[in-house]
Amino acid sequence: MWFIVEDLINGILMGAIYGLTALGLTVIFGVLKVINFAHGSLLMVGMFVAYWAVTLSGLHPYLALILVIPIMFFFGYYLQDIVIKPIFKAEKDVREPITVIIVTTGVWYILDNLTLLIFGPQYRNIQDNPLRGKMLEIGGMFISVPKLWGFSAAILTALAIYWFLQRTRMGRAIRATSLDRDAASLMGIKQYKVYNIAFGIGTAAAGIAGVTLVPFYNVFPSVGVLFDIKGFIIVVLGGLGSISGAILGGMIIGVIESVGPQFMTATWTEGIVYALFLLVLFVKPSGLFGVRYDW
Amino acid sequence: MTRENFQKLSAALLLIVSFGLPLVLRSPTYLHILILLYLYAYLTTSWNLVGGFAGVLPLGHAAFFGIGAYTSTVLFLQYGISPWIGMVLGGIMASIVGVIIGLPTFKMRGAYFALATIAFGEGMRVMVENIDYLGPFNLNGPRGLQIPPLNVGLANLMFVNKEPYYYIILIMLIAVLMLTYTISCSKLGYYLNAGGEEPEAAKALGVNVARCKLIAMAMSSFLTALAGVFYAQLTLFIHPKSVISLDLSFEIAFIALIGGRGSIAGPVLGALLLRPVSDFSRIYFGHILPGLHLIIFGTVLILVMIFQPRGLQEPLTKAYHRLLDRLTEKPAEKE
Amino acid sequence: MKILEVKNLVKNFGGLRAVDDLSLTIEEGQILGLIGPNGAGKSTAFNCIAGVYPPSGGEVYFFGEKINNHNPWDLCKKGLARTFQIVKPFASKTVLYNVTVGGYVHTEKRAKAEEKALEVLKYIDLYDKKDMKAGKLTIADRKRLEIARALATGPKLLLLDEVMAGLRPTEVDKMVEIIKDLRDNGITFFVIEHIMRAIMALSDRIVVIHYGQKISEGRPEEIASDERVIKAYLGEEYGVS
Repeated sequence: MWFIVEDLINGILMGAIYGLTALGLTVIFGVLKVINFAHGSLLMVGMFVAYWAVTLSGLHPYLALILVIPIMFFFGYYLQDIVIKPIFKAEKDVREPITVIIVTTGVWYILDNLTLLIFGPQYRNIQDNPLRGKMLEIGGMFISVPKLWGFSAAILTALAIYWFLQRTRMGRAIRATSLDRDAASLMGIKQYKVYNIAFGIGTAAAGIAGVTLVPFYNVFPSVGVLFDIKGFIIVVLGGLGSISGAILGGMIIGVIESVGPQFMTATWTEGIVYALFLLVLFVKPSGLFGVRYDW
Repeated sequence: MTRENFQKLSAALLLIVSFGLPLVLRSPTYLHILILLYLYAYLTTSWNLVGGFAGVLPLGHAAFFGIGAYTSTVLFLQYGISPWIGMVLGGIMASIVGVIIGLPTFKMRGAYFALATIAFGEGMRVMVENIDYLGPFNLNGPRGLQIPPLNVGLANLMFVNKEPYYYIILIMLIAVLMLTYTISCSKLGYYLNAGGEEPEAAKALGVNVARCKLIAMAMSSFLTALAGVFYAQLTLFIHPKSVISLDLSFEIAFIALIGGRGSIAGPVLGALLLRPVSDFSRIYFGHILPGLHLIIFGTVLILVMIFQPRGLQEPLTKAYHRLLDRLTEKPAEKE
Repeated sequence: MKILEVKNLVKNFGGLRAVDDLSLTIEEGQILGLIGPNGAGKSTAFNCIAGVYPPSGGEVYFFGEKINNHNPWDLCKKGLARTFQIVKPFASKTVLYNVTVGGYVHTEKRAKAEEKALEVLKYIDLYDKKDMKAGKLTIADRKRLEIARALATGPKLLLLDEVMAGLRPTEVDKMVEIIKDLRDNGITFFVIEHIMRAIMALSDRIVVIHYGQKISEGRPEEIASDERVIKAYLGEEYGVS
């Protein structure tokens, strides 16, 4: 019986990490109103950056955050500025430009295959990092230590982003733009700068997620695909644009994934996740919690 | 020569060349490349009925491809039913599934629709990968199904040489292009275009937008399933990752988008331009630079979306018309 | 013969009552004008009548038939057409294509639909632009295209939503002529308009609504001097007490 609780806890921990991976997606959607299909690839890039940072420096994985966050932020900032902004400008009147989705899919393909080209398809992992395989024993249950770290990182990042949006000037500008971009630009807010920053934040969040995954997850060029689809599922469940929704949605998936295999095969568990996704899309596209915007 | 006659002559020449090609081109490798080229042109044209005419972005069409392939293969292996009949049955299955998927999803906005189709496609793949038996039918899960090359011949859509496959897919392609052309000139075509571009206005003009989209979906899924059957008979081996793959769904959509969705020539043009890129980069650079063709696809896609969102067919068609003007005389203005 | 009868129409959006107990009738061959300050609920009323959303209360009768929950496309086939305040041309298609879509309502054949379309285009003076892409038209031409498309469906009742907005005075006068001419040819009109010169010239009767409620109804001259109408438009200070 304890196994269920153990699975539940580990599921919640892993779920928060899933939520972290989806956090960037939800922020980008909330502000730009587009679903960034390249999100999984950005996560993958974050993982690679973290991997190399740790392998080359030998430092604790979470110290890699010092490098990862700025690198990923600027990567996202300029990706939006150079590749995606032209589409927005061309499709100014369309509220949800579909062409951007197509373009981000192109970015996904390019990033994944470029990484494949440069680094090869092999699976990499950091063998001797201080977190790998560590377990914390609490009352007969084994809690995964890297996942615990990941959980904390997820909650902290979510709070940090929330604080940023609520308390800083740029955060207010971002919120204003997400609610009504025309009114916001009439107030003197530079719409595209806001987009760039939002994209940067979203990508940095993906980078943080990458750092949390690297201690226990394999790193390879197509790792993003799995998280991409899961990311979509999570943000739809949690409500596109909602930060708490992303974390909660991730936890739901995490719990299903870890408790499910007790009762059915792992792949049927995957099937349940898809079924839940479709159900939510049909019945309540604004998400399980119905909250459209957190801010 | 008048413009009309010139176009008729070019069409005739094109037909003669394409039918005559296998007599000149003997290499099975090249024939295979052409067969796949026509297959993709066929797939993108079928996709275009929904993705172009109806104006939505379906990213799960491989599911229909797979339904066709699995239906005919299972029926053939277990009950000895000819793949031709398998085509019809697979097509009907795919149509039904397509309409079922379409009913709830067409109401969604663009991005959600795209996500839902991805979910359906992947969900179906996961399902097939994990079921060995669906009722009395043996799907064999991830191991796939293999068709032993016995009883070759037209009745079983199985041949030793590539030539018969070439002609079959060529005829299928011509048929689907003619179908697309007929639809585009018909009431359904007008209604689909209207509903795709401005649904509110179309509804006020008497267009039942939802019903038209469903009709387009039913047709598109039927046709895509036929291609799945063809593919199964061509390669004699199918498994979920090859026939119900996300990559296939995306490739079809990408090619149609680059070529120009919504037009008739666009998808074919896209296939004509991009498939050779894909094939040659795989043949010549496959070892040193794997995945190069996908990088090229992605880059071309982005560039096209920024500079020519209606696809490459737009500038190419304009150039073609200018060429026509120079070569021919215009017919007298109809009054 | 009463072509359109609206009885106690109510439309709520959550807590907001956009249309409040609105009743009106239109006789065949009439032009009824609907005016009111911005946000009064005019377009909402139109949308309820035209089947875009169902009324929250009340009934709408078209030729005596209750049409409360009918779809826009069914209504169109029955002879109720409408234009949109913000024009929605099929921008990537030619003018002829646009109008042909309307022409398909009563036929399956392209030739017939196109024939009807060309007829309408000649009448409304857009014929020489028939091969232009709709996206490239001027705003005045786009408004005429809206009407042309609706006309091609062969309507008996045509709902025009602010079709004069953005037009120059000469264009407005021309449009008034066209509408009057169409009425003489058998089409009944229900017109929302802000441009007073047009609505006064066109309408046989006018209904005034404010905050979703009908505050006045009558001939144009009566409305122009109605104190409630003046107050609604210009504010309390302007009422002649």
